[in-house]
Order: sequence, then C-alpha cells, then structure tokens
Amino acid sequence: MAEQVQEYLKVERQQPWREELRKAMKAKERTDITRVKMPEEDPHFRATNSNEVNLGLTKEMALQEARRCLDCANPTCITGCPVNINIPKFIKRIEQGDFLDAARVLKDTNTLPAVCGRVCPQEVQCEVNCFYVQKLGKEAVAIGHLERFAADYERDSGNISVPEVAEKNGAKVAVIGSGPSGLAVAGDLIKWGYDVTVFEALHEIGGVLKYGIPEFRLPNVIVDVEIDNLRRMGVKFETNFIVGKTAGIEELKSEGFEAFFIGSGAGLPNFMNIPGENYTGIFSSNEYLTRVNLMNASNDEYDTPVYSGNHVAVIGGGNTAMDSVRTAKRLGAEKAMIIYRRSLEEMPARVEEVKHAMEEGVEFLNLNNPLEYYADERGQVNRMKVQKMELGEPDSSGRRRPVPLEGSEYFIDVDTVIVAIGVSPNPIIPSSMPELEMSDWGTIKVNKETMESSVPGVFAGGDIVRGGATVILAMGDGRKAARGIDEYVKARKKK
Amino acid sequence: MADLTTRYMGLSLRNPLIAGSSGLTSSIDNIVELEKAGAGAVVLKSLFEEQIAIEANASLKKAENNDLIYTGKSEALDYIDLKIREETLSGYLGLIREAKQRTVIPVIASINCVTSSDWITFATEVEKAGADALELNIAIMHADHEIGSEEVEARYFEIVSKVLSTVKNIPVAVKISPYFTNLAHMVIKLSETGIKGIVMFNRFYSPDIDINTLTEKSTGTLSNPSEAANVLRWMTILAGRTGCDLAASTGIHDGTAMIKQLLAGASAVQVVSSIYRNGIEVISSMTGDLEKYMEKNRYNYIDQLKGKLKRDENSNVAAFERIQFMKYFSEIV
Repeated sequence: MAEQVQEYLKVERQQPWREELRKAMKAKERTDITRVKMPEEDPHFRATNSNEVNLGLTKEMALQEARRCLDCANPTCITGCPVNINIPKFIKRIEQGDFLDAARVLKDTNTLPAVCGRVCPQEVQCEVNCFYVQKLGKEAVAIGHLERFAADYERDSGNISVPEVAEKNGAKVAVIGSGPSGLAVAGDLIKWGYDVTVFEALHEIGGVLKYGIPEFRLPNVIVDVEIDNLRRMGVKFETNFIVGKTAGIEELKSEGFEAFFIGSGAGLPNFMNIPGENYTGIFSSNEYLTRVNLMNASNDEYDTPVYSGNHVAVIGGGNTAMDSVRTAKRLGAEKAMIIYRRSLEEMPARVEEVKHAMEEGVEFLNLNNPLEYYADERGQVNRMKVQKMELGEPDSSGRRRPVPLEGSEYFIDVDTVIVAIGVSPNPIIPSSMPELEMSDWGTIKVNKETMESSVPGVFAGGDIVRGGATVILAMGDGRKAARGIDEYVKARKKK
Repeated sequence: MADLTTRYMGLSLRNPLIAGSSGLTSSIDNIVELEKAGAGAVVLKSLFEEQIAIEANASLKKAENNDLIYTGKSEALDYIDLKIREETLSGYLGLIREAKQRTVIPVIASINCVTSSDWITFATEVEKAGADALELNIAIMHADHEIGSEEVEARYFEIVSKVLSTVKNIPVAVKISPYFTNLAHMVIKLSETGIKGIVMFNRFYSPDIDINTLTEKSTGTLSNPSEAANVLRWMTILAGRTGCDLAASTGIHDGTAMIKQLLAGASAVQVVSSIYRNGIEVISSMTGDLEKYMEKNRYNYIDQLKGKLKRDENSNVAAFERIQFMKYFSEIV
C-alpha cells in the first residue's frame, strides 16, 4: 500500500472510538469466536424457485462476527481488495452497532457494496489475507457477509445515503457499458463534479450484473438500488445505445464528450468447435442466462421463451457453468449435469457455488469431455458423445492437464446443452476504432496505472481489458480509470 | 528426353522429388518457391499433437506475466488449449487452401500424432480444405517397459483405421520409424489397411552428451547421407511386397541417392536436409541428375527403372543379410 494510504489508515485506527472498541474485548476472546455461517434457503425448496439462496446475516450474527475482527495495526485484508475498502473501519462500525455508518464507509470506495457482498470471491481476495488465515490457521473474518449485511441494512432502513457531489466542473465524460467497471467510473467521476453519461447497449442497466448473474445469487432489485443511487447523484443513463454502431466515439466527441471509458465487457461466448455444436438446443451460457435473467424467458407468456430441457448438460466448471446449471434446475430440468474435463479440485468456480449446486441435486461428471453432438430429424440435439479424461502433467498454472482416455467414449441423452467455457472481449468498439492497440487475447491494451488506452482520452477497464474477470477487479479498474480521466481532463484544461 | 513424371498414392507428380515436411513447407511463400524450384509435390509441415499443449502453456504463461489479464479463476483460460487449437488448426487449413490456390503441384497435409483421439476430426477438415493427400506421421518412441510391442503396433492400426473411416476422398500415407521387432511384417500389414503410401522413415530427436558440461544435447536436426543406407535396405526388401506405394525419406541428399531409392523400388523420395544444407537449387540439380541418368541408360519412363534392383520376392532376406555380413566383415571381425 502507498505510504499515504498507510498513514491515513493509521490515523483512522487511532480514532478514540476504535481504540475503545479494541479495549472492550481481549484478543483471545475474539479469536475464540467461531466464524458465522450464512443462513441459506433449503436446497430442495430453493431449487424450484429463483429466490435468493443466501439469506443474509441477522443483526446478532453480524455483531458477533464483527467482534472477531482484531482491528489489526497492519490490515492485510485491505491489500487483497481491488478497491481498497477500509475493511477494519466498516467492521468496527458494525461492532459498534452503527450499521448505517458502516455502509457509508463501504461507499467511500465501493459503488456497489451490496453487489460485492454477494458475488465477490472474498476467499481469494480480502479474506485470504486476513490475520486469522495468515497467522492463526483459522477461518477468516466473514468480510463479504458483513459487507452485504451493512449494505442491505442501509437499503432496508430506507436511509440510503447519497455520497456528496462536488460542484459541476463542466467536463463531459462518456462511459461505455453499464457493468461494474462503468458504474465504478461513473460513481467516482460524478462525485468529483463531472457530467457523466453511461451508454448501455441493452435495454437494462447493470451489464453482467443483470444479464449474467442469476436472480438466486444476485437479485436485480439489489443492483437497481445501487444504480438508482448513482442516478440520484446525477449520472445519466442511455439504454439501447451501441457505441460503435448507434454512434461512434468521434460523433460523441462532437457532442462535447472530452474523455471516454470503455467498459463493454466480455460478451463474446467461446465454443468448443466440435461437430454438431450448431444444433438447436445448444446454447452459449451468455445467451441462456441473458434470456432468463433479462428477457424473462422462463415465463411462457413472454415473446422469447427459452427451451427448458429435461436433460441438461452444462459444459465447463466456472461460476457461469454453475449459474447455468442451477438455472436449468430451477426451470424444471429432471437431470442437470456439469460436464467438466478436469477434476473438482481444478474447477474455477467458487467453492460456495459448487457446494450449492451439489446440494440442489446437480450431477457432476468431472473428468469428462464432449466430443460430438447428435440431433433428431428436426435438428434438435438429442445425444452427445463424451470421452473420459485423466489428469496428465501440470500446465504452467500448476493445474494438471486433462488427457483423453483412449477408447472411453460413451453417449449421454440430452435435450439441452449449455456451453460455459469462458468468454472473449466484446469486439464491437475495437472493430470501430482500428487505432486502438489490442493484445493477443483481444483485450484493449492500457497503461496499468491510468487505464488509458493507446488513444489519448480513451480509457478502458474491466473484462474488455482483463478478459473475463471478477466484479470487484472490474470496479478496481473503474476507480483507477476515474483518477486517470480526472488527471487527463485537468491536464487538458491547463493547456 | 526422359519423362520424369510418376505416380505416388494415385497422385500424378511431375517428378519423384517431394519437398518433405519441415519448416520449409510451413509458409505459402516457401511452398511457391519450392514449386518454382521444381519439386514434384510438397508435404506441409506437420501439425504436432503436442504442439497445441505447448502453445497453450506458453500462452498461459504469457497471460500470467501480464498484470492486466485475469488468470486466477478464469473460465476462458481454463479452456485456452481449445482456443489455441482452433487458431492453430484454422491457420493450417488456411495454408492448405492458399497452397492449393497458388500452386499446381500436389499438396500433402501432414499430422504428427501419437494417439487416435480428436485428430480424427481434424483429418476430415484437412480433406475439406482441399489437400490432395494426408500423411500421418506416427512418431511413437516407446520407452515404457510395461507396454508390449503388440500394444504399440495395435495403436498404429487404431489410428489408421479411425482416419480411414472418416477420410474417404483423398489418399492417406503413413510415415513410420524403422523401430519394429519385425518391420517387414508391420509394413506389409499396414499397407493392407487401405492406406495408399508408406514413408520410410521418420527421424527422432538424436541425443548426444556434452562430457564437459555433463548435459544432454542434440547431434543436430539434419540427416546425413549415410542414413540413407537403412532406408535403401528396407526399400529393396519391401518393394513389390506391399499393397501400397513406398516413399523413401532420410539421408537422400543428391541425385545419386534419389536414383538408388528409385531403383530399389521407391515411388517417390522426400528431401528436406539437403535443401536446408544446399539451398533450394538442389531440387533442380537432383532432378537434372535423374534426367541425365535416365537418358544415359535409355530409360524413357520412371517405371522402367523403379524397383529394378528390388529384392526378389522369393528370396530369403535373412540368409542374404547374413551372407553379406560375412562377406564384408570377415576381414575385420
């Protein structure tokens, strides 16, 4: 952490209220408390509806968990947070019982605390750096659960704080894409007095938070509250506007926009390119989830219903695969399967998502890989050929490479297949700006300090730069880009 | 003037010299140059089964060294080998298409495989892209003492059978090594599977040791003219006994070496190391030597000299080899 930040954290920690709280309990008493368990809906019941699975902590639970935090002199948890939330401070506000102020602390650096509290992989970010994990070999303080608690408490109380906004400085900034990076940029720039317009290609604001993450993991209403907060701060939103098609960057420049942030995400699905992948009933996870999450496709009365199969195979082992298979289960699939070519240990999905999927009756065919799809006379997929795999030598990431087992091919009856093997960056904007430098992965190359691209005044962040990452990393990029844009506009004005 | 045209795997070649699979045949510009230099056909650089894994690993490493690319739990990188495979294979198919557009000589695609898994799908793509033939370079160097020779041989037949079940419209050749307990039996059995050619032989990495640094090193990647002798031995033994054409490969560095293989029974020869060593002009020099030899000896057609010195089909090869050994080694043994 930068010296300045460390100094700030030190001063904050020396506040009398923090010192008083630290003295209120012995460290031993704190470390003896067992980590809270997130209450969940019953698996049998929840697999039949789209209610949120995690129910959130009660006040008592939150207070007890907050007591576990030792308010360390060197808060290593913060180093794991891409947006540098002052984690001990917000947790201590919870311990103090001032839940609204805890939410305010979160919002100082995080535009979407209720979202991050639900979907961030805290176990590999802030929580893995917690003193409990690093030094005591115990379970980390449940930072994510507490973050969600504070944000939900504020929302439910009706006392949602709107961060202060500086006087308008007259500079217009266009944010392309309303996903987590775009919302983070907008949140910071609006606070600093910029005139911010967010352009969204779809009819709903929220990007991947809305189209990609199902209701049972992140209810749309939670995202809407956070977006509404930005609206109240003055951010303007234009939906059904595809920058690069509806209008280009140059046209927007002529409308007075001085700087641009591209946060158009990674919406281009990857396929395996195996025979039969074009048959009816085979979807990309993007299409499947977007139809269900954003277009109400599970409701027969809507114009674009999705085919809800009885035997559904989802290819892949990431969070998107888990979201897809659990969605299929909720749409009534008798048999919902994960087909993944490595073992459970190598799965990129969060442990919690895998656990939830297993509890809900999802079958896991690990060390299996599709080879070919077959269809009936109407072209509807009805069978797939699968090959068993074994694990070979580790690849450069240390994970063992899947190797086909010769002669192990067999068939599975399926009527729906969802391919969830990752996404590539959205190509629309890069293809409309040939001067934009791109990487081998189809991502926009940026200066990692300022997030400025090879085109002056054009910044980028999130999945279009990282190629399919996490919500919080995208938000971290957004915040960094906001500082970059601020410096760029100020320097321009000085000239 | 002697007619150098010949037929190999049912393909018509303007002469029997084929530019073998190597870096020389990996780009369209080189392929065009090889045609201009007089090659009768080209075998494209082999796509190695392991190449995809190696490239995927390199790509993963590159991503890990880039702070901005998310590698931690990335779903896309979890399947990066598929993407690399797709890019590599589509690049290869593009090379076939372009080679067919810009040249008239036969273009033979090549796959270097050790298993019979998803390469089979790719073999059909090669056919669709317009390759005139497919050469399967089955390079298995077995060092696993727990695998019996029968199992090793069975894998060859499994690969061939799977490829032939999907590649129906173009001829398939198999390039093999000489390392079999009974090479003659293996070659004849393979030639009866429906393949149209057998290429003898592929070369493996050739190890050496640096005694000063105590490290392993390579003796070099190019062949030597002395290596042609073993090919010649098996060509004379097997020509006329197989159900498909034979092509000679390894150690054929000049016109004389090419003529010897033709006399022994080869339908064509594959040349690589000599082009690397002597330049692309060696092709016209070798075909020129062949033409002169044919004119001098009054051969009008390749078929008149092809197999002229092959071993009699009824000869006892083992007894002959022992007599030759005694004859030539008696003075020094």
